[in-house]
Amino acid sequence: MDITRRDFTKIGCKVIIGTVAGATVIESMISNNVAAQNPPAQEGYDWEKHFWGYVVDTRKCIGCGRCANACKLENKVPFDEEVYRTWVERYRVKKTTAQTREEEVVIDSPNGGIDGFEDNIPAEELKKAFYVPKICNHCDNAPCVQVCPVGATYETKDGVVLIDFKYCIGCRYCIQGCPYGARYFNTEKGTADKCTWCYHRITKGLLPACVQACPTGARKFGDLNDENSEVKKIIDVERINLLKPDLGTKPKVYYVGLDREVK
Amino acid sequence: MLENLIWGYVYPNESEIQWSILIVLYPYITGLVAGAFIASSLYHVFGNKELKPVARFALLTALSFLCVAMLPLLVHLGRPERGIEIMFTPHITSAMSGFGYIFSFYLIIVLLEIWLSFREDIVKTALSSHGWKELLYSSLALFSFDISEKALHDDEKFAKKLAIIGIPSAAFLHGYVGFIFGGIKANPWWSTPLMPIIFLMSAIVSGIALLILLYIIAMKFRKHVIDHKCVQSLAHYLWIFLILDVTLELLEIISMKYASREDIDIINRLLADKIGFTFWGVQLFMGVFIPFVLLLLVSLMKKRENLKLGMISLSSVLIIIGVFAMRWNVVIGGQEISKSLVGTLTYVPVFFSQEGVLPAIIICILPLIILRVVTAILPPWKDMEE
Amino acid sequence: MQPHLKRAFTLLALVIIVFIIVRSILVPASFGQYGWYRGDSVSELRSLPINYSGSTSCGEEGCHKIIYDVWVKDRHKTVNCETCHGPAEKHTLNARETLTPADDSREYCGKCHFKRLARPENFPQIDPETHGQELRCVYCHNPHKPWFI
Repeated sequence: MDITRRDFTKIGCKVIIGTVAGATVIESMISNNVAAQNPPAQEGYDWEKHFWGYVVDTRKCIGCGRCANACKLENKVPFDEEVYRTWVERYRVKKTTAQTREEEVVIDSPNGGIDGFEDNIPAEELKKAFYVPKICNHCDNAPCVQVCPVGATYETKDGVVLIDFKYCIGCRYCIQGCPYGARYFNTEKGTADKCTWCYHRITKGLLPACVQACPTGARKFGDLNDENSEVKKIIDVERINLLKPDLGTKPKVYYVGLDREVK
Repeated sequence: MLENLIWGYVYPNESEIQWSILIVLYPYITGLVAGAFIASSLYHVFGNKELKPVARFALLTALSFLCVAMLPLLVHLGRPERGIEIMFTPHITSAMSGFGYIFSFYLIIVLLEIWLSFREDIVKTALSSHGWKELLYSSLALFSFDISEKALHDDEKFAKKLAIIGIPSAAFLHGYVGFIFGGIKANPWWSTPLMPIIFLMSAIVSGIALLILLYIIAMKFRKHVIDHKCVQSLAHYLWIFLILDVTLELLEIISMKYASREDIDIINRLLADKIGFTFWGVQLFMGVFIPFVLLLLVSLMKKRENLKLGMISLSSVLIIIGVFAMRWNVVIGGQEISKSLVGTLTYVPVFFSQEGVLPAIIICILPLIILRVVTAILPPWKDMEE
Repeated sequence: MQPHLKRAFTLLALVIIVFIIVRSILVPASFGQYGWYRGDSVSELRSLPINYSGSTSCGEEGCHKIIYDVWVKDRHKTVNCETCHGPAEKHTLNARETLTPADDSREYCGKCHFKRLARPENFPQIDPETHGQELRCVYCHNPHKPWFI
């Protein structure tokens, strides 16, 4: 066959480029599947066996703020910035005056409740007052996971929603997407950040720092797969509620004693 | 000072507003791009002969603004060096993940369109120049110099097909941005299915207004006569899209008030207080009502060409400001209400800051500089001087 | 197809191929292992350092068993040692890493025990104005065995 040098070069280049491209594409498709078949050793913790849940009993919270304080110490969250992985809110419902039937509720959370709360409304003016601890709800249908554009946040098989700090690009779409205000921007890391239910502790059999610090048992944590766990028993028996259930996020923080005023 | 910025109760993590003026700029710029492209397509696809003078100029405008579109996002990202992940591992459940591929696809379409419509001029320039100029234009022509009737005719057919694909691409480029906001159920000011189409309509409006202004300025610079028929045709389209735009924007507000859900109190406070002036005063009155009246008069008036030109220019300036206010009201307004639905915050733009007013101004001026350079390399002036 | 269009599309194809090659190099291997995220991140997050030990490790044989046995029998057994004494993981691993002494001021006890209107009625709280003559609470109450009555 008589082919010119030019034609030979053209065909040669096309063959080389085609082979390299094809090989790369196929290899990138295979390597991921191989990894999925052989997950690395779990080091004694099998995430398929657990499904974590959290219970908050607002009737027991005394607003001492030890939970928010312990969380910041455990997880190195800055104390001098207004960022919180968990916080306590105070609701004070004022007595209705003769003029109006509308309820007036005063809500506050000074420094997340870490320094406690001052009483600056006299008792005569209040009908109802209570504290509500708040935390990331680790939703089963998390809007924050849905809106991440790169796959930097995800729900683990044991039900914990986590952030990959090495992959997040810091676009803050997840912060906009969370209806509960649980996420914040970590200026030091340049990424989004939030409560992890102390994943580094619960996978070793410990409790999250906030649950351990709570002196009254207002915060409880446990395995929903375990019939004997405290949280499972409470959820199955008590009157419980969720925050913003109408949004369909399927939160996994279950509240006992959740008042209608709670936002 | 801090006490005045916050009213009611806001969640502790909301104390800082996350999306700044730069994020207001991104939909504004992609809107101008989409609008300019649609204006160009009115000639290339729908055959509106009166728009021939600005058709290629509109494409160059679209390209100049497209080059800058990524900048506000890159400056805003907490980790801009990881920005490429949006092309490597786009998470398709997220509207924002569309950015990489939609942007790239549209960029390719615009580049091809420009290349095909300017190819004759590029080749002629390449063949008649020397030295580095010859090299530049030859590489732009991809070293292929066929400008026979058949080649140009095939180019035109292909360009028309591209323009037809281009229109939905332009719609996507800007529509997905609207969906980024419209899909967030957590925020009652953003969450509506109308958001993509509202964004698109106001984008077309702003793009056409920009094109009118740039055309008039370019003709003044080049000391050439303005084609009044062309400008009035653009003004006519501007008026129609303006009506569509305001209908949708008002429909959204009316629906919210009619449904009167849990969030209506905070929405009322937002519209009365936080963005009261920028919404009713700038976006609607200055940006829609006055241009509507002016353009209506323009279409009714006979002769008085220079007066009409002045009214059209004024309308375009007002519309450009009004559409910026609309983006501001959506992005900043949505963040000024707390997710607790019982509190508001205030956005205070800083001038000298990484995400402040100064970078925003620079990003707005850059595309005009780019346009100046691009029109020097690919001059569209002979369309206008015929 | 016209030659110039063929060249344009070849150029485009080359760009896309280069992109695919770069992508396969830069995207971490564990991405997509369990879902649309980087699989290695799970074990990274599990290995973060722990700062709080928990009271049971304070009461180990040979450590603070005596005070632990007093504490665990009285009302403050629901208050974790580290809530007042600070995070102690470093100390449990190396006893020479001492902790700052616990805050035993009146204000610190008052974080829980000063009367606040939002606290549940049945929780032990005192009016700071009238109870205790501005003394530190520990003057009368042993923090490890507070309910001496």
